[in-house]
Amino acid sequence: MSTKTRYFVAISGAILAIGLGTGLVASYMGFPVSVFSTAAGPDELQYVPADAAVVAYANIREVMNSDLRQRFKDIGPTTDQKNEFEEKTGLDFEEDIDSVVLAVTGSVANQPQKSFLVLGKGRYDAARLEALAIEHGAQATDYQGKRLLTHLENDGDDVAVGFVEADLVAFGNLAMVKASIDARRENRNIVSNNDMMKLVNELDNSNAWAVGRFDAIAQQANLPSEVQAYMPQITWFSAAGHINGGVSGQFKAEAKDEQSAQNLRDVLGGFLAMARMQAANKPALQQLADSMILSGDGKTVALSFSIPTEVLDVLESLAKGRQGVVQQ
Amino acid sequence: MTTGARMSFTTAARRVFDLSLGEMLWSRRTIFMALVVAGPVLLALIARGVEVFGMSALRVNGRPVPGFSIFGVMIWSLYLFFIVPVLGLFYGTALMADEVEDKTITYLFTRPVARGAVLVGKYLAYLACTILVVLPSVMIVYFMLVPFSQLPSTFGNLVIDLGLLALGLAVYGALFAFVGAFFKRPLLIGLVYTFGFQQTVLALPGSLKQFTVAFYMNALVPHVMPSDGVSSLLQSMFKENPPLWVCLFWLFAILAGFLYLATRVVERKEYILEQ
Repeated sequence: MSTKTRYFVAISGAILAIGLGTGLVASYMGFPVSVFSTAAGPDELQYVPADAAVVAYANIREVMNSDLRQRFKDIGPTTDQKNEFEEKTGLDFEEDIDSVVLAVTGSVANQPQKSFLVLGKGRYDAARLEALAIEHGAQATDYQGKRLLTHLENDGDDVAVGFVEADLVAFGNLAMVKASIDARRENRNIVSNNDMMKLVNELDNSNAWAVGRFDAIAQQANLPSEVQAYMPQITWFSAAGHINGGVSGQFKAEAKDEQSAQNLRDVLGGFLAMARMQAANKPALQQLADSMILSGDGKTVALSFSIPTEVLDVLESLAKGRQGVVQQ
Repeated sequence: MTTGARMSFTTAARRVFDLSLGEMLWSRRTIFMALVVAGPVLLALIARGVEVFGMSALRVNGRPVPGFSIFGVMIWSLYLFFIVPVLGLFYGTALMADEVEDKTITYLFTRPVARGAVLVGKYLAYLACTILVVLPSVMIVYFMLVPFSQLPSTFGNLVIDLGLLALGLAVYGALFAFVGAFFKRPLLIGLVYTFGFQQTVLALPGSLKQFTVAFYMNALVPHVMPSDGVSSLLQSMFKENPPLWVCLFWLFAILAGFLYLATRVVERKEYILEQ
């Protein structure tokens, strides 16, 4: 073997060895998401307890300003209804709320009413809200330096609103609101949950998304037992959408093993092929069917879609037609 | 001291391997291989460059496609569909044909080595040469496209990809080594088999697809098959997934069977050099 051949073999071998070595170290040491990038997702995630099973986020500001919202604006609540709410609370949803984070803990199956936490970011008149709440029988207390408004229920499921930051309100069961304040204070929140943050980190350019453990939502979906038995064993899921002129999104699931994922991909692939054939004569549906793209590798299955303008036109005319009938 | 004693098969194959590896690496055919393999690296470089400027390299339905999905598409469309079969075809069919064409086969066959060992040595040199070029290019493409934060979750699939590509090079190489040793127009036959027969039967229902290498290879790929055209849509519809052990058994059987047949042909065939 000549010297230049030896050099070539050494360089090729080195590239392979360095690549495999780096990958092995990353796999076994488990690089946290934050090693190579800043923490993904909104800042409000620091108020979500680390054991949350599902986390969802919506950028209300972007959705409200979207072209899609402008199209369907007339179909929303009437101005009179909105004014009444605004007068009492001083809160205009369209103008004052920027984003909402919803978290669901693992105990959702046993105690659904105690498992939800909503974090709303926006501009609030805290004094006005507190006065209104006390007027309706709520109690105002302090917890870890944060103002809490608690409405005591007979069954012990106290509902609370916590003003956790100047522009952030936590709403949910009293225990959940307190857990939210503790999560931020003790720095034991969802940001330190690598499994969840890996999913959040993969989301990009979405103004509405949800990630979490699939079993947490499957139990709540009340699916027939026959369907549940045939469902592949999905562990994690993420759903992300972008709303502007239209709606586009992606649903991604992680199965327990590669065989389950492969089976799910095969079933979805067959379904998509069938849908494309069925939609061949309907231009609007054909565009929707063509936009659905199946992808994924290993244990993941992903399905992306885009709702075309033609479909939105049909929905808009249907909604306006229905509204016209109601008004008559 | 050189004697006329016949070398053992393995020693002879190793000597031929040493000799052939350098020849193959620095031949004109390697320039072709380098160009073919540089294609995906160049595409990955462009994708990386685009992302550096804050844009997405590929968007589907207005949403950016993750780097590992782009990598999966490249493994399917560029490496498994094109690069691996083409390299197997061009190198495999030329293992003996080059010696015949250059009229140097006489020098090899007059040595005190088994003729089969010549083919095996050359086959191993082909395998080392292609693996040393293809796999590092896959590694570079992977690290360019996949963010570091996704390394732990995707590295297992990269290892499967590397193993699968190496196995593909070995199987196609053995198959086309036999074609090159047995048939008169091996390149044409190989092209018809790879891009005609294989692609057609994979897009049809039935059991004929079991006579293709791609059938067993495709079942092992850890990425979803891209469905961007009629042919690939049909292939994904009629795609079957035999169990792992079935795929590995048949791939190794094809490899061993055709390599054995190729050595038998070389040992028995009488090569007549054109004057």
